[in-house]
Amino acid sequence: MNYGLIYRIALSLLLARWKQTLVAAIGVTFSITMFIALLGFMNGLNDLLDGLIVNRTPHIRLFNEIKVNQNQPINSTEQFASSYNFIRSVRPVGNRQGIYNSYAILKAVQKDDRVSGVAPKANVQVFFSAGATDITGVINGIEVAVESRLFHFNDYVTHGNPLDIEALSNSIILGKGMADKLMAQMNDVIEVVNPQGEQFSLKVVGIFQSGIQEFDKTQCYASLKTVQKILSKGTSYFTDIQIKLKNIDTAPMVAKEYAQIFQVDSEDIQTANSQFETGSFVRSLISYAVGITLLIVAGFGIYNILNMMIYEKMDSIAILKAIGFSGADVNLIFILIALSIGIAGGLVGLLFGFLLSAGIDQIPFRTASLPTVKTYPVNYNVAFYLIGISFSLITTYLAGLFPARKASKVDPVIIIRGK
Amino acid sequence: MGIVLEAKAINKYFHDPITAQVLKDITFSISKGEFVSVVGKSGCGKSTLLYILSTMDTDFDGNLFIDRELTNKKSEKELAHLRNEKIGFVFQFHYLLNEFTVLKNVMLPGLKLNKYKEDEVAHRAMDRLQMLGIQHLATKKANQLSGGEKQRVAIARALINDPLIIMGDEPTGNLDKKNSQIVFDIFMQMAEEYKQKPLIGMSSEYLLRKIRTLRT
Repeated sequence: MNYGLIYRIALSLLLARWKQTLVAAIGVTFSITMFIALLGFMNGLNDLLDGLIVNRTPHIRLFNEIKVNQNQPINSTEQFASSYNFIRSVRPVGNRQGIYNSYAILKAVQKDDRVSGVAPKANVQVFFSAGATDITGVINGIEVAVESRLFHFNDYVTHGNPLDIEALSNSIILGKGMADKLMAQMNDVIEVVNPQGEQFSLKVVGIFQSGIQEFDKTQCYASLKTVQKILSKGTSYFTDIQIKLKNIDTAPMVAKEYAQIFQVDSEDIQTANSQFETGSFVRSLISYAVGITLLIVAGFGIYNILNMMIYEKMDSIAILKAIGFSGADVNLIFILIALSIGIAGGLVGLLFGFLLSAGIDQIPFRTASLPTVKTYPVNYNVAFYLIGISFSLITTYLAGLFPARKASKVDPVIIIRGK
Repeated sequence: MGIVLEAKAINKYFHDPITAQVLKDITFSISKGEFVSVVGKSGCGKSTLLYILSTMDTDFDGNLFIDRELTNKKSEKELAHLRNEKIGFVFQFHYLLNEFTVLKNVMLPGLKLNKYKEDEVAHRAMDRLQMLGIQHLATKKANQLSGGEKQRVAIARALINDPLIIMGDEPTGNLDKKNSQIVFDIFMQMAEEYKQKPLIGMSSEYLLRKIRTLRT
């Protein structure tokens, strides 16, 4: 078949009705533009909200949970070996929060090539003295450099330099809510009391704001050494080992594996934050649904215009058939017309979609809870653009299918006889 | 002389609104170089017969041979190719594509046949236009032409693939007397020039006095 000729005929039919063609193409352009902008914006928001939790949450957390010993003495007595023993009100004994053999575990995990980073952490519950009252809070002992690299810690420090807690001994970064409650300013010295009742003086070298107010009211950060000092423990005392993996999807599997190898408790991000994934999924679903609806509407527009074009070009179709074009050729001509509208409208739509996204990206968006965000978030994922152009091709093809079939079935005899 | 078109016992019925037989046992054959007029009253089935002979209408009983090949069993696609290659058609109405220039209109069946390269087809189209005395219109759009000019372009288009048969369905029906005479002269001239080649089936009262007449 002579495709060049078919294409030229399709093109000239298109251009002969360029105003209608333009309207049809604008329909596609509009829907693709909105599709791209909507998905980009929605996913930008998703990333932002996920980032609030997911970026700051380790993929796997290894810790030592305080729990009852599973091997109670009665279970080792032969007399009751074959019976089921109920023991009430068992209490955990001799448990500690620090991970056993923590340093060796840290080294072993660092060597695993599925792991992209490991950050040890030591938490301590303390009382902050605010005049006559004490406020409970948690001090997280961290290695600032690693914590910043893996969990973007530095992004959330709104005042002061996070590295100061390593440089200055006995220094602390307070959560915004905690600082407000304590009426503490930068460079103030605050008093904390550890569980054993010992008092420490810490200098405020920074304020951080995570975006989650409840979190900022209780959480504070200090260097690992400072926390180990407050707890009077050695340098290998960690309560948590936070692990970031190269592939987040493997977290549940790797978490189980580590729990078994190192005899610790482990928690993976999927289990800890399943509600966030659900939220992201639903938001994506809504934006896809709206985008596809727009495209289907555009598809009906194309269908209408092609149908009108066929009635208008009935004579041309009849003569093409009389001079030797088969039904398949005519079919192809109209499919090509539909696809050309889809491609042209779609490509322009991608461009406008990109521009609109870039425009949204410039709109100021300031919120107290998100200090690092200055404008509306937009995701420029190439996948949206590929999906957009594929959808525009598929819908225009489907819209062209029926009119093209109708055109291919035109009986030239009826048209010619009618004249 | 080789027979190029043969009809055997062709019957045609119309079913709407009531079944009526239009063509009854039409049997005849036409050889190369013959000039045949089909004459009859208005509504007696001249056009209907021509559509059957041109393979566009396949809803009939009987056998139709074109170039000694039975057409009844051929697919729609094969018939389209056959029309493209072997039949030139001139209708009462010109049926030019307004989106194309005159030259492109003439070239269209040639490009579809894809036997010659595009510039060769253009050259052949110019030859046809020259023969019909309208080569100066080649670059104009089809809708800028007068009725007589359009019909001549349609004739040029019918000739582009050197068809075995040229069929005219009242090709002068829409034209005034002067233009009718021009178109008619062209047909006469072609019949003389292409003695070996085309057969011209016409259903026009105007050609009544011509060489051989089929009555339906």
